[in-house]
Amino acid sequence: MGNSKTLSLNVRKDFPILSKKILEKKDLIYFDTAASAQKPNAVINETNDFYKNHYSNVSRGVHTLSVESTFRYEDARKKVQKFLNARSENEIIFTKSATEGINLVAQTFYEKFMQRGDEVILSLIEHHSNLIPWFFLRDKYGVVLKFANIQPSGEIDIDHFDSLFTNKTKIVSLTHLSNVFGTELNEKIISICKNRNVPILLDGCQSAAHLKIDVQKLGCDFFVFSGHKTYGPAGIGVLYGTENLLSEMPPYQGGGGMIGDVSLEGASYAELPAKYEAGTPPLVEAHGLGIAIDYMNNIGLDNIIDHENEITKYAFNKLNEIDFIEIHGGDNKRNSIISFNIKNVHSHEVSSFLDVEGIAIRAGHHCCQPLMKHLGVNSTARLSFGVYNSLEEVDKFLFELHKCKEFFSK
Amino acid sequence: MNDLINDLYQEIILDHGREPRNFGECDPHNKSADGHNPLCGDNLKLTFFLNDQNIIEDIKFTGEGCAISLASASLMTEKLKGKKIEVAEEIFKDFTNLVSGTDEELKVLNEEDSLYALKGVGGFPMRVKCATMAWHAFNQALKD
Repeated sequence: MGNSKTLSLNVRKDFPILSKKILEKKDLIYFDTAASAQKPNAVINETNDFYKNHYSNVSRGVHTLSVESTFRYEDARKKVQKFLNARSENEIIFTKSATEGINLVAQTFYEKFMQRGDEVILSLIEHHSNLIPWFFLRDKYGVVLKFANIQPSGEIDIDHFDSLFTNKTKIVSLTHLSNVFGTELNEKIISICKNRNVPILLDGCQSAAHLKIDVQKLGCDFFVFSGHKTYGPAGIGVLYGTENLLSEMPPYQGGGGMIGDVSLEGASYAELPAKYEAGTPPLVEAHGLGIAIDYMNNIGLDNIIDHENEITKYAFNKLNEIDFIEIHGGDNKRNSIISFNIKNVHSHEVSSFLDVEGIAIRAGHHCCQPLMKHLGVNSTARLSFGVYNSLEEVDKFLFELHKCKEFFSK
Repeated sequence: MNDLINDLYQEIILDHGREPRNFGECDPHNKSADGHNPLCGDNLKLTFFLNDQNIIEDIKFTGEGCAISLASASLMTEKLKGKKIEVAEEIFKDFTNLVSGTDEELKVLNEEDSLYALKGVGGFPMRVKCATMAWHAFNQALKD
């Protein structure tokens, strides 16, 4: 426990927003990192510095500022490549969000490799951002979507998943870490895809920054995550794709920066990664993401993961002892996320009650309405932890949770 | 206990949240609409019978939601039953102003009204949608 307290004390000061008082007097306890992480000074200051001292468009001009901006943008790509252990920078596409990454793959993969009647496998636990882009394919092109069931533990039912494959299955797209349960995807799922020679996209929004990511070891074909959930700015996302697939798929959007040569009769397209980056990219945000990755590396991702595991385990065990609490999912390991309900109290009430005590938790369907329906609830309360949280904060939260239950039972 | 929480969850709100009045479906009804809060998944179905004098003869709702959304729907049905449509529309406007924390002067509602208990929602901007869900369904039903 001592170790964890020391770590959190050390990094809390890096996040200026954590000294904010809620309603003018309550210390902020931020348990909503899964929705968006807070930003360390390094990211805030470096993005400021970019605008003040280095800003221009990227990859266009030859003047000094253009060189400085381009260097920072491409340096961020190198950092992301290392962060994911991708083979090459060509496999790192900057997008505006993880959502855009999934839309990009759905549209361009379809265009190159699929036709009416072909099948995509998803699951019941997917975030809306990993459902709707595929719904578009179903609605526009007659693609068939299949959904893997989940077990009571919250994990994908592997036998059911395996049974969904046919010779028309063209791609699988699944969350790497459930934003509701906090459970990690079983690697057997990826092996099944490999053995069947079907590409798999992993939605890494919740796993990047909370698990060590090695896309080569994972063996996934696509991996998306967002900057804002990894202590970086909003407005920047990453799509990793194998060079083979990204080379074969067509461009997503057309515009400046993604062309080879243009005449009025037509155009040729740029090489990877520029081929998928039409228009002026979120260059400052990309730089900010690079700084966020540096920040995590300086603390050590292993240290961050250990720290979060300790807090998550502590909170899970404490919540599990309380008879009026229902935790969603089984007893398997959670990674930085726990969903629960106070029996007979709506999650909105819990969240508002805690809010006035300075505690920020998420309440709602977490953009997972099909899963909520499956669980038989219309919303849950969710705790999610980051590098800056501590066991003391969990104790404070538990204390207020008991008061909340009491208030709504009177 | 925090004042904001006590303002938000007055006894009447907790009571109507736990035991909503006029819960069910009007039989017969000639107006209906679904209310939905896409942010959280809460939803309700509102039905009412508007007679030939434009009076809301009966009004009921079903659905699931938080204490604020259920209490608001319940209090709304109590308030609107027996009202002429023109009056109901005035109440709708007043109520929206009341919970949005605007300084608009109220025309038909006053502090004696049970609906006034929802004024505390103004201290929680993210909860305003909970309080107005049923009212927007009502407004929608009139338009359809």
